[in-house]
Amino acid sequence: MSGALGATGFPEQAVRARARAGTAEVFPPADSYGSRLYGATAREPEDALDELRLVPPVFMPRRLEKLIELGREPSYEDVDLHTTVGGFAAELPLYLSAFGSTRAGSGDLGVAAGRQAARLGIPMVIGENMVPVHGYSRGGDGMRSALLERIAAYTESVADGVGGVVVQQSTEDADSEVWNLLYSDPGTRALRDSGRLGFELKVGQGAKPGLGGMTVVGADEGERLAGQFTVRDLLGERGRLLRCATPGTFTEEIVRQQLRFMRNNFPLARTWVKFHPGRDIARAAATAWAAGADAVTVDGAEGGTGWAPRVFLDQVGLPLGECLRRIGPPAGDLLATGRIWEGGRAVRALALGATAVGLGRAALLAVDEDPREGLVRLARALALETRLLVSAVGKYRVADLDPEDLWSPNAPAPAPPPLEAPAPATPPAGSRTAGTPAAGTTPLRPPPVRPAAAGATSVRGRA
Amino acid sequence: MEIQTPPPLGEHLRSPQLRSAMLVQQEALYAAREFLRGEGFVELLPPLVGPVTDPGGRGAKALDVDYYGEPYKLMTSAILYKQASLRGFPRLFYIAPNVRVEPPETASTGRHLVEFHQIDVEVAGATRHQVQEIAARLLTRVVDHVWTAVPDVLRGLGRDELDFAELRQGKFDSCTHEEAVARLLGRGHPQNPDAEIDWAGEKVLSLEADRPFFIDDYPKGSRGFYDREDPERPGVLRNFDLIAHGGYGELVSGSERESDYAAIVTRMRESGENPAKYAWYLELAREGIEASAGFGMGLQRLVRFLTGLDALWQVSAYPKLPGVIAP
Repeated sequence: MSGALGATGFPEQAVRARARAGTAEVFPPADSYGSRLYGATAREPEDALDELRLVPPVFMPRRLEKLIELGREPSYEDVDLHTTVGGFAAELPLYLSAFGSTRAGSGDLGVAAGRQAARLGIPMVIGENMVPVHGYSRGGDGMRSALLERIAAYTESVADGVGGVVVQQSTEDADSEVWNLLYSDPGTRALRDSGRLGFELKVGQGAKPGLGGMTVVGADEGERLAGQFTVRDLLGERGRLLRCATPGTFTEEIVRQQLRFMRNNFPLARTWVKFHPGRDIARAAATAWAAGADAVTVDGAEGGTGWAPRVFLDQVGLPLGECLRRIGPPAGDLLATGRIWEGGRAVRALALGATAVGLGRAALLAVDEDPREGLVRLARALALETRLLVSAVGKYRVADLDPEDLWSPNAPAPAPPPLEAPAPATPPAGSRTAGTPAAGTTPLRPPPVRPAAAGATSVRGRA
Repeated sequence: MEIQTPPPLGEHLRSPQLRSAMLVQQEALYAAREFLRGEGFVELLPPLVGPVTDPGGRGAKALDVDYYGEPYKLMTSAILYKQASLRGFPRLFYIAPNVRVEPPETASTGRHLVEFHQIDVEVAGATRHQVQEIAARLLTRVVDHVWTAVPDVLRGLGRDELDFAELRQGKFDSCTHEEAVARLLGRGHPQNPDAEIDWAGEKVLSLEADRPFFIDDYPKGSRGFYDREDPERPGVLRNFDLIAHGGYGELVSGSERESDYAAIVTRMRESGENPAKYAWYLELAREGIEASAGFGMGLQRLVRFLTGLDALWQVSAYPKLPGVIAP
């Protein structure tokens, strides 16, 4: 354990334990078996998304479908976690969230996380401001910039046909033409030509909605960056300065046109967009999908960051669960981030419409704990929990998760449906149970189930 | 497509084919200057470096220059300077050298060079229609003059005067971008309706034509922020390309320009640009830039069209193909 990194307010010790022990941490200690009894732990939910409980039904027509398909009783191991994430094939409904120019994310930890994401066969996002801060070197000087280092580490470790690298570009990055540089760089050609390069328009982030990126820099670096960023002496420590990027100005038309511009200029790259948890998130997401975005990332207010004003961490932005509720049935790939580290929260987000979930702080802590295996072990534990939970609700594909799999203590219990005539022995393919009717005004509750059972998965674009 | 690359520079410079192309180029430049001066234009010499240049499209990049510690760019196009010059020079033109680091895959189009020149024209107060008319007459004059001045050179290169007959009578066709997309889709070519006509699509349309034609009304998002959006039809730009017949493709790109400060800033954001880096231009726009229309005619593309040679490098004395390291 290097232990250089801490994460205030985050279940750091639990993440580190998973980075060491992997799937063993999904269960109580094995040596306590036989000498200790277990039951609910009166766990306190962290937020409204955590407050939702996963609620397996008794009757499971999807399990019957799987039983018929397999010719034997299905188990949790039969849950298929392969997912298309923003145009990339992924082994898990998971991706590595952006960490950019902050010190925590741009050094060796970022490289280690990328390498392990590649081994896991999941996409990786590289954050903004890497080039204005760390430079972009090419050619024969033998030195690779932090950005190229991370891309190279990922490319070396990823198997054919899975994963992908997505690079953000901020307003300041646009000056450095980061996407343009990458698109024609020989080092990214293999990714690009195999359809595994993407670009993400970063509109905002969860930890500080409405603000641009912030880092703490030394006096020398501050002087160097002062031309491109706002650098101010506000931190009360000699030689430590606050570096702020601008958030960029966006309107509906600006988002639409920027996405169109990206698609026109980089036709072989996937187009992603990341929003902060704004109150108009549903409209923003709909605009992006309509403009052809391959994925919309929503970063809930619980999202992590390398640096932010305290008032923003605790008091600004919609929680992830509320964002997902407002978006409702997504019209394209929806990626959710914000305090994701274990299977329960991940599956809840997936049931509320997300295609995949992103690991940010959890990934950094895991590689900080073990630079070679930490993230792989963390992800395997999350994957095991996901398989257990998805199979428990009687489903065997992540895309089949649905708000009906969730229950909110704040929502009134649905009235029991009238008893119908006996159901046929074999359910028609694609059938599903009816969901909870929409009613009530509680701030977070499972949104109404998609209107038509057959249309539900295709609406989510990952049938 | 197989990429045909230039021979070593010395051999290239000694080739009779290049000599013929340079004779044609010389006459084309002579005719262009004579025509434009006759129309009341003043020739200025364009800047080579500046804090910003025309933002790259389709993966083309600007080259960086360290200018006394400031990050400057080599001009990919001097469009912003053309607009800035209108107060003093309401009808102006450059023979402008440009450098665009095009993506390596464009080496095989036969229509891309990293270093190239444009006959760059701007007219204060003009409409799209008026500059299209200037572009058509300019092309007609150049073709007329070259066929008059060096007919044997053109014939020696295998050109047939009849192929230029319709053009020399001033016959130009036109269609909209939407119509061009529909024609391509109808022929099974997968053209993106939101984008510029792609290289392959342009070639298809160019081969089908027997005279040059304009394509009007490109959609917003396919071109730079300075192409004016039609106030009557949001999302449609008051711009155009002029495509040569015979498979030679685009010769000219032009448009009415955005001149309203707020519209320029908004359009910059829509194309992902950071307005701060255009400070000098935006200051001028705040003071007031003349409304205008203009175009750039690719000189090497014009000479290739006249000579009928396969690739642009054959009509450049010092060719630099995208992705190919050359002296």
